[in-house]
Amino acid sequence: MAVYRPDSRRRPVVVLMVITCLVLITLDRRENGTIAALRGTARDAVAPVQDAVDGVFSPVSNVFDGVTKVDGLERDNARLRARIAGLEGKLSRERGIADEYSQLVRLLDIPDVEDVTGVVARVITGPAGNFERTLTINKGTGQGVIVGMTIVAGDGLVGKVTEASRTRATITLIDSPGLGVGVRTEKSREEAVTQGRSGDRLLRLGFIDNPRAPIAEGELLFTAGVVGSAYPPDIPVARVVRIDRNRGDLDPDILAEPLVDLDKLLFVKALRWAPTNATVPGGG
Amino acid sequence: MRAVRYFLLVVTLVVLQTALFPSLRLWGAAPDLLLVATIAVAYERGPQTGAIFGFVAGLAIDCFLSSPLGVSALAFTLVGYGFGVFQGGLVRSSRWMAPLLGGLGGLLGGFLWVAVAAVAGQDGLFAGAAIRTVFVAALYDAVVALAVFPFVRWACGEPEYAHR
Repeated sequence: MAVYRPDSRRRPVVVLMVITCLVLITLDRRENGTIAALRGTARDAVAPVQDAVDGVFSPVSNVFDGVTKVDGLERDNARLRARIAGLEGKLSRERGIADEYSQLVRLLDIPDVEDVTGVVARVITGPAGNFERTLTINKGTGQGVIVGMTIVAGDGLVGKVTEASRTRATITLIDSPGLGVGVRTEKSREEAVTQGRSGDRLLRLGFIDNPRAPIAEGELLFTAGVVGSAYPPDIPVARVVRIDRNRGDLDPDILAEPLVDLDKLLFVKALRWAPTNATVPGGG
Repeated sequence: MRAVRYFLLVVTLVVLQTALFPSLRLWGAAPDLLLVATIAVAYERGPQTGAIFGFVAGLAIDCFLSSPLGVSALAFTLVGYGFGVFQGGLVRSSRWMAPLLGGLGGLLGGFLWVAVAAVAGQDGLFAGAAIRTVFVAALYDAVVALAVFPFVRWACGEPEYAHR
């Protein structure tokens, strides 16, 4: 290969591009509408090709998934069998309580997650980058999916719509470092906020109302539904899996595992929920 | 004609990056096809073309990420320029050049991306997990470089140094 001679006249072009990038980053951080529109247009333009590629390569992806995740699936299977046995017993104990609770909610006319309608969407793909926890779904503003909507799956909370174009929407998952969810604990009904951790699927529980509250491993966390909350109340979010109460620490280190397997989602529901002044009893 | 080929290159890689590779992750990391292509263009055409291609390719993939628009564009522009200057010092080519540059560029580009995104306000990037992800992605970049470099060579046409 011949030796390349640097040319100082080329530097202004590079400097100009660097400045352009810095301007774009600044504008985007200030939530500029033009940039959001540009992103939406790009996503809509590529959407049909993405669909075609997805259709062609989905068998390849499935085989790859099968090969790379078989160990994990076996472990999951054993763990889930044990959990099902435990939950079946718990379900029968709580069936009676649930009936009383739904009667009380009806009497008090409190909005409940069961009252919320939504848009069912298919998960198309995961994040294109390595440092974000997002999913893309096949519905957008054209089908009524807008930024801010709560996303749920059968087991519980998935995340929140953070970007939406006409035919696509991006969901930021609850284990994303930038997303906090206001929750309350199952038994002590303490309020707290979950926080995702980079490279980890577990959520850290922070801003606990009463750090000395008797929160136990295995306890479930539900959306708090406080006044003006972005999420409807009482959606299951996660299960407490580890509690470290180190002497001298003000707050215990509590980790919770999302109830939904966020890596294996096929369908989700975007809830039509307008934040209200409603609260749930004890939910704050 | 070359511009059309560059355009086709960017669109094809964006579609593969957003539709196919999210399902082909290894230990949570996917390769960065546009970054590898930027390195390949810089290797074939020098710093200016490398920087311009990196800027356009970065902007294209930024449209599909949740990080601020311009983060990848800035990282790829600098990587394109840097590798363009660096290739001037190379005296011979070998079959290992593509994976070597792909891996090295993946590593540098990955860390540069993390630094730019963190300064731009992206959360949770200064963690051990992020470093692990950059290393795994760089290894993956080295592998996909074997396929991306010939594709880029086709898009670039005759190499810059052939004219000197």
